[in-house]
Amino acid sequence: MFKELDPLLHSQLRLAIMSLLMSVDSAEFTFIKEQTGATAGNLSVQIDKLSEAGYIEVTKSFKGKKPLTTCAVTKKGLSAFENYVNALKQYINK
Amino acid sequence: MSTETNDFSPQQSLDLIQTMIRQAQGNLLNNSFYFILWGWAILLANLGMYGLYKFTDFPYPYAVWLIAIPAWIITMIYGSKQGRKAGKKTHLDKINMWMWISYGFSILPFIIFMQNIGFNVNPVVLVITSVPTFLTGIILRFRPLMMGGISFYAFGILCFLVSPLNQYLVGAVAIGCGYLIPGYLLKNMREKNV
Repeated sequence: MFKELDPLLHSQLRLAIMSLLMSVDSAEFTFIKEQTGATAGNLSVQIDKLSEAGYIEVTKSFKGKKPLTTCAVTKKGLSAFENYVNALKQYINK
Repeated sequence: MSTETNDFSPQQSLDLIQTMIRQAQGNLLNNSFYFILWGWAILLANLGMYGLYKFTDFPYPYAVWLIAIPAWIITMIYGSKQGRKAGKKTHLDKINMWMWISYGFSILPFIIFMQNIGFNVNPVVLVITSVPTFLTGIILRFRPLMMGGISFYAFGILCFLVSPLNQYLVGAVAIGCGYLIPGYLLKNMREKNV
């Protein structure tokens, strides 16, 4: 029986965001935008979805006078990502 | 990039994960700047010290080490600019940074009290320098830097075996092999990757 792929992660942009955040302690919104090539609006919506699910933690602060949004993976996000990768492996090795 | 689900295969998902992880790791290669800066600063200080001792009667040859002050200032300014520009923090970035700060503190007493040991700091400093250089090579998975770390250790031992004056020449060669060659190779690699 194959595990179902987490629909929240099985989306190109959300998976890209999570993969980026997996290998860093934290990343700024602008960095994620640059690396994924997404539009600010779209990225914002997807980050909100991941944040609402508790997969990432979003911190809003200021860098000088500019607002700064920083994202980091939570423990829940880490385990969801691991489950997703394990499920992927099952599909690939079938 | 699309946000919709189910329109890509498991293999594409894995490829995407790998690409993103690789992209997030990119900026460690910026380290070449520090190796080149400190490589030239210490090389010039060693050669300056050797030249002043050997060929002049200048009473304060160790004053050449003051070159470390502007090098520190440039390091701090560049480091803080890079940190702001990077837009992310990785655990390895942090480990690497703190390792070099700890290294700076560990050699500081030898620099401050160099007069007490007859200004012969090269053997000790070279042996200590081998550790962070080798470990940065491991972190970056960059063999020339690992070799650079090993060469610092070897040149450090060699320093104990030569005259105090020749220690400066050994120190200059050690810096060339340990910082400058790996630093330029790292810079070339980065430029090719950009």
